[in-house]
Amino acid sequence: MTAPSGARGLVLFIAASAILAAIVHLVVVLVTPVVASGDAYARLAPLGKLNETVALPRADPGDHMLPDADPAVAMAFCRYDLGAGPIRVRAPIGRAFSSISFHSPRGPAFYALTDRAGARGAIEAVLGTPDDVRALAAHDDEESPTRDLRIAAPEREGYVMIRVFSELPSLYPEAEADAKRLTCAPEPAPR
Amino acid sequence: MADFVRIVLVCAVGWALGLIASAFALSHLSPFDRVRLGAWSIEAHAGSNEADPYTRARLARTGEIPLAIGEGLRLTAREDDEGRPLDGRCVYRIGPRAPAARYWTLSLVDPIGFPVANPAGRYGFRSSEILRAGDGDFVITAAADVQPGNWLPIGAPGSFALVLRLYDSPLGATAAAIEPSAAPRVTRIGCA
Repeated sequence: MTAPSGARGLVLFIAASAILAAIVHLVVVLVTPVVASGDAYARLAPLGKLNETVALPRADPGDHMLPDADPAVAMAFCRYDLGAGPIRVRAPIGRAFSSISFHSPRGPAFYALTDRAGARGAIEAVLGTPDDVRALAAHDDEESPTRDLRIAAPEREGYVMIRVFSELPSLYPEAEADAKRLTCAPEPAPR
Repeated sequence: MADFVRIVLVCAVGWALGLIASAFALSHLSPFDRVRLGAWSIEAHAGSNEADPYTRARLARTGEIPLAIGEGLRLTAREDDEGRPLDGRCVYRIGPRAPAARYWTLSLVDPIGFPVANPAGRYGFRSSEILRAGDGDFVITAAADVQPGNWLPIGAPGSFALVLRLYDSPLGATAAAIEPSAAPRVTRIGCA
């Protein structure tokens, strides 16, 4: 093989560099979500125990824990592990908008509910593995059908996030208190 | 020998270009999921399972928790209506209308998404607290110095971004369906 020279060599050089650059770029983009150590779950997980509701600090110039938080919205979360069975997620509805979103450790929310989906003064759902959800459905009583909303989680671990909107600056403490009223409690598995 | 040098050079250039392209792509909104609406950009699927690999990689790095589909939608402006980057030394007028939503908020953040310290301690406005004209139209003035009406302080002279969040909006993932005229205009009034 003779080394290409002149213009043909340059074209080859540019083409080879571009192909390599494209491969490097694709690998970086695809691998980043898997290896990133600064994603939301990595930031939240150390803050609280399983099933414990943890209020997040209000968006503030001095606090760089979570970017992109709305200063008008109070947030709290709880972490779950469905290995021990399903959990019941419940949050009372406050005076303005509130929503609950369900997340796996990686990627966007897999489910979300707003206060519009609430009934009897609360947003409520049972979160389980797909097997849990099937088992619960199999034990449903036909005479008195359940009113539970059941959500199948794609992964065993993850977190539930609540956002409560405050209509006025003076109502923020109230929204914060509402956010803290999120509960994630173990739900008895069907027998 | 010449072959060897060429191969090393190709590897070095390819590797460097690949990393530069990645760093650029992951510090900007995904080019494949971006809807433009005047000065505003929307990453329409950031909060859904349809998020593309660029969006996923960016979110994994920043730690952001985007609003899920159904919760709401976030619009970001880094430029004014004429395409000039937002500059902390200028005065901007934002309004007069926002897309349909139960509530919206408009906040001012630094280029990486955190509020900017200012003496007034105000980082944004809610649709439910804002002063409006009789017909419901509003004007928010972003400026470093005190302004009458809805003053959104600019705390630092550098570049900044405006974030408009629509909560419980009927628009959801169909961001492309928003009428361009429904988004607030971002008009530069002047610069110091």
